[in-house]
Amino acid sequence: MPKLRLVTILLLSGLLVLAVAPALAGHGIMEKVKEANEPFDSLQIDTPLPKNTVQVKEEYQGGAFWVLSRKDSIGRFPCSRCHGKKKSFKREGAALAHGDIELVHGQGEERPECKSCHNEKNLDLLSDKKDREIDFDHSYQLCGQCHFRQKSDWVGGAHGKRHTYWIGKRVVWNCATCHDPHSPRFKKRWPSTYSLPLDK
Amino acid sequence: MKCDRRTFVKGMGLTVAAGGAALSAGCSSMPSSGEEMKLRFHEYFKENYRLMTQLEKEQTVERLARLAKLNHDIDVQVGTQEPLEQVLYGYAFNVSRCEGFMDCVTACVKENNLDRNSKTQYIRIFEMEHGETDVGSGDGKYFHEVPVPDHYYMGVQCFHCESAPCIKACPTKATWREPDGIVVVDYDWCIGCRYCMAACPYWGRRFNWGEPHVPRAEITKKQHYLGNRLRNKGEMEKCTFCIQRSRNGKLPACVDACPTGSRVFGNLLDPDSEIRFVLKNKKVFRMKEELGTDPKFWYFID
Repeated sequence: MPKLRLVTILLLSGLLVLAVAPALAGHGIMEKVKEANEPFDSLQIDTPLPKNTVQVKEEYQGGAFWVLSRKDSIGRFPCSRCHGKKKSFKREGAALAHGDIELVHGQGEERPECKSCHNEKNLDLLSDKKDREIDFDHSYQLCGQCHFRQKSDWVGGAHGKRHTYWIGKRVVWNCATCHDPHSPRFKKRWPSTYSLPLDK
Repeated sequence: MKCDRRTFVKGMGLTVAAGGAALSAGCSSMPSSGEEMKLRFHEYFKENYRLMTQLEKEQTVERLARLAKLNHDIDVQVGTQEPLEQVLYGYAFNVSRCEGFMDCVTACVKENNLDRNSKTQYIRIFEMEHGETDVGSGDGKYFHEVPVPDHYYMGVQCFHCESAPCIKACPTKATWREPDGIVVVDYDWCIGCRYCMAACPYWGRRFNWGEPHVPRAEITKKQHYLGNRLRNKGEMEKCTFCIQRSRNGKLPACVDACPTGSRVFGNLLDPDSEIRFVLKNKKVFRMKEELGTDPKFWYFID
């Protein structure tokens, strides 16, 4: 008799474990994430748009978003101020002819040259491989023609960075805010500090 | 110098025994005024943050701001912002983008008023050889220009685990998980036993062995009760996803400072957020996932 009782107890406890286990497993973070499909009101906090922003001509999964503009941070923009009928002295040539620009972008035959990106007919604009005119503020359209993987990550949010706020209107940095288009790899430099080993 | 709990109680006992009325007698540094003594008295007998009423929260925050004025001659704003509804914070770190500049670390130290004497840092960045996955093998004291070939950089900080072992280890319930997922510490409720530090498998917690020192000019004045307000000796502290920033909609200081965009922060419950995009479209992993701590911090590769 005691043997039978033991078997029943074992069986019952086994059933209990089977019933409880999925409930326990269901509280993990991945489950919470998978269950959360309701749209989130990210405009509940009204974040100020930075001064120099333009709306991106595409949408991300959450709708419209904004990008930091470029034209106001290019030193001698508009380019047509010099690239036009304006006369200049020969002796100024070296300083004015972008002698400081070193093109370290791409390798081998893929290497772009000036006119790969700059619009020859109108230097205030850029142009892509299909000769479509592209505004400097929307240079992501140009970069994206080769760097399409980075572009789609940038639109979605896995590449690049947001400006100041995680909530509110989505404002992101432009490609050229971080990368120098003529030399897009980040310059090597010293780290700002150091870290102690994990157990210290 | 401030008075810690033990010397305070000891001193109080002595003065009471001697029939004295001065509560401050046990402290190594005398409060400079009656006002400060009164403030410290009320601070000492306040509740755990989670049990405080809104009024009590406002009162303690006011006292803390006044004490900062008296002790450091600065005007701080200590906030008690509540978590936002339908928000659960998550973080992702791109190991193929980080180039080891460590600007995140310095931004964090500055934002969170970390002790400069002991060089306390919440974030660690390790230079790792390609193919190596054990973060213990990484070198944090690299002394050369970065990045270097055949290496990658891995950041480690508090992962704000959903099932955090540090919370379970705390004997005084001084640390807990907020509804928006941030694991916080009530510094005034911490007894400094460091059990949480031992329980954390990610070395995410920091202890104030000495009186923390922050140069007066560098103190971040926008503070939160559970975040970057000034701590005392013998108290545990940790990353709070910059609670004083994130609850106001801002990105944590490390995310804001990152020059390579390796850090992604956002709301896990928002299906349109960047962090959800990363989880859905990228190869992600978490550190020591097999421990079942369920961290809200993912590493991802491009």
